[in-house]
Amino acid sequence: MAEGRRPTALGRWEVWRRRLWPERALPLSPWLLLLPALLLTSSLAAALVVIGESSLHLLDRATFRLGEAYSLGNYAELLQRPVYLRIIGRTALAAAIVTAITVALAIPYGYLMVRTAGAGLRKLLLIGLFLPFFLGQVIRAYGWLIVLGKHGLLNAGLTGLGLPDVALIYTYPGVLIGLVQYMLPFAVLLLAPAFTAIPEELELASMSLGGRAWPTFWHIVLPLAKPGWIAAGVVVFTLTMTDFAMPEMMGGGGNDFIANAIYDGFFQLSDAGLGSALAIVLTALGTLAVAVVFTAIGVGTLGYIQSGSAGAAR
Amino acid sequence: MSKKIALPRRRFLGGAGAVAAAAVAAPAILKYRGALAQDKPQELIVRAWGGVWVDSLNAGVSQPFSEATGIPVRHDLTEDNEIRPKIWAAVDQGRVPPIHVNWDTTTNATKSAVRGVSEDLSGLPNLDGLLPLAQPAGLEGWPLVNTYSYVYVLAYRDEAFPDGAPDSWQVMVDPKFKGRVAIYDDGIGFIPAAQVAGGGTLEDIPDNMEPAWAFFEKLKANGPLLGEDPDFTNWFQNGEIDVACTIISNARAAKQNGIPVSWTVPKEGADLETDGMWIPRGLPENELHWAKEYVNFALSPEGQQVWCNGLGLPPVRPGLEPPADLVADPAYPTTEADLKLLLRVPTPVLVEHESDWFARVNEIMQG
Repeated sequence: MAEGRRPTALGRWEVWRRRLWPERALPLSPWLLLLPALLLTSSLAAALVVIGESSLHLLDRATFRLGEAYSLGNYAELLQRPVYLRIIGRTALAAAIVTAITVALAIPYGYLMVRTAGAGLRKLLLIGLFLPFFLGQVIRAYGWLIVLGKHGLLNAGLTGLGLPDVALIYTYPGVLIGLVQYMLPFAVLLLAPAFTAIPEELELASMSLGGRAWPTFWHIVLPLAKPGWIAAGVVVFTLTMTDFAMPEMMGGGGNDFIANAIYDGFFQLSDAGLGSALAIVLTALGTLAVAVVFTAIGVGTLGYIQSGSAGAAR
Repeated sequence: MSKKIALPRRRFLGGAGAVAAAAVAAPAILKYRGALAQDKPQELIVRAWGGVWVDSLNAGVSQPFSEATGIPVRHDLTEDNEIRPKIWAAVDQGRVPPIHVNWDTTTNATKSAVRGVSEDLSGLPNLDGLLPLAQPAGLEGWPLVNTYSYVYVLAYRDEAFPDGAPDSWQVMVDPKFKGRVAIYDDGIGFIPAAQVAGGGTLEDIPDNMEPAWAFFEKLKANGPLLGEDPDFTNWFQNGEIDVACTIISNARAAKQNGIPVSWTVPKEGADLETDGMWIPRGLPENELHWAKEYVNFALSPEGQQVWCNGLGLPPVRPGLEPPADLVADPAYPTTEADLKLLLRVPTPVLVEHESDWFARVNEIMQG
């Protein structure tokens, strides 16, 4: 610093920065920024360990506390009681169906939203995308009760047309409808960046070579958007697997998912051991499903590893 | 230059000294303030059910209590099943529990007492003169107090029964009402009725419950809706159901709100149960004192009269005026003859077996 010259604000900041965080510590910066996220996830992992430990103790009805002895009895009960296998099967089937339908609906929505030349249409699609986020899942489920109810809007319309009414409310298909509507914005949000990243010139090139719209979309756009629809599929699948509110509100009590059974274990039966065992099973199933996807398709498809770089993904 | 530096340093040292002194003295100050506030906490938190339940409690107990003591009462509408593990965890971990008074089912309250998380209410002046029903069964002392009894009635939509009330629980499995019947999602209140309607007897509970489960299987085939208290009102209002097994208070509230619903005690009888109040352990001494005062007030003649009449339920305080619309109603039992029509499973049996029964109902209904 020259004699008599006052240091600038930037200069003072640099001096303090070097004192607090010297040059040799700079390589640690990314890890420091990662630290909060790592702490959060590791605390969740710690909670999972506690839940896993609880799952190995049976409820003592004399004291309504978990017993001291370790046991696999809670897991045995899950296998012995057909109801739990039915609920697990129902949840997994719902996750598969909802994922397939949601991603199929999200692809044209996301593509149109990104590619449309009309500003009005894009705004409309964006409003349609974000409006549901302002309404919680419970409010949306309640909205479906109004639409699909015995004397709801749907049946009023059908009856007005002279058609027989339909019983969708409090049924499994009703739960699936609610879930698809809930998941669609998530899927579109994950797909939109994938479509944006595809240069429009590629589609123009395909068309200039004689390719029509559908083959261009099928052979050019969809493969290049693979990271988007894989990510959308994984997110929708896992969110559906763990959903509680839709089956609770729209299932009429007879279409529980695993999350509802976990709730019943903890709160209705006061059996933290059984509830924990179910929670571990749910976590294991979700993890397994995602692992299968990543193993079969590769995490690189999510764009985490760019092809051409070292160890390029499949 | 040095003076310029010295002055802030002195100020800093002086300020730091003041902060340190305050930090050292804070516990003593807070303790003193605590001593001043010994008599009255800022508020009392009472867990309650919503709708007509909390309205009645507020009118009969909370509001008069606040007026008399100056202590505001806040109602926590967390479900009884959800607050229980929170209280259990707080007591186990030595934390102050999240509520002062838990208005709870007797079965749940007994589970908490068995776990040892309840304060003893012995010595409350208004325990004197209550019906024997008020005393907890199978427990030492008063870790809870029952406050009223209630009946799980057969509620029905008037339009669906133009010839009058159904006389049997068999209506729940009548294919004519397929998809238009409802019970609680865990089967609570319907299990004793199903046992008798299925050809069994009350005395067979808990050793032989097969008649009940067979009846639940038939019910499952009739496509029942499973819900909680507010659901029944909504379903009746929206015309989604024709018959339901629900607590008389819900049916009465619906009727008072203009929904064309009535209720009956069928020939097989109907489940009679009780609710109560208890105080979790771990409250500061002054808060415990006023929580006990609240429970004591809830047992007073004036508290019981308004609270229980609002709910349409017979109180544990004898000699009070029943609601005019429930006089001679078998779902408002006041005599031995009334009680003979009803089905009562002893609380210790419920505490021991209820979870298994809920699991069995769940198994049938999720099939």
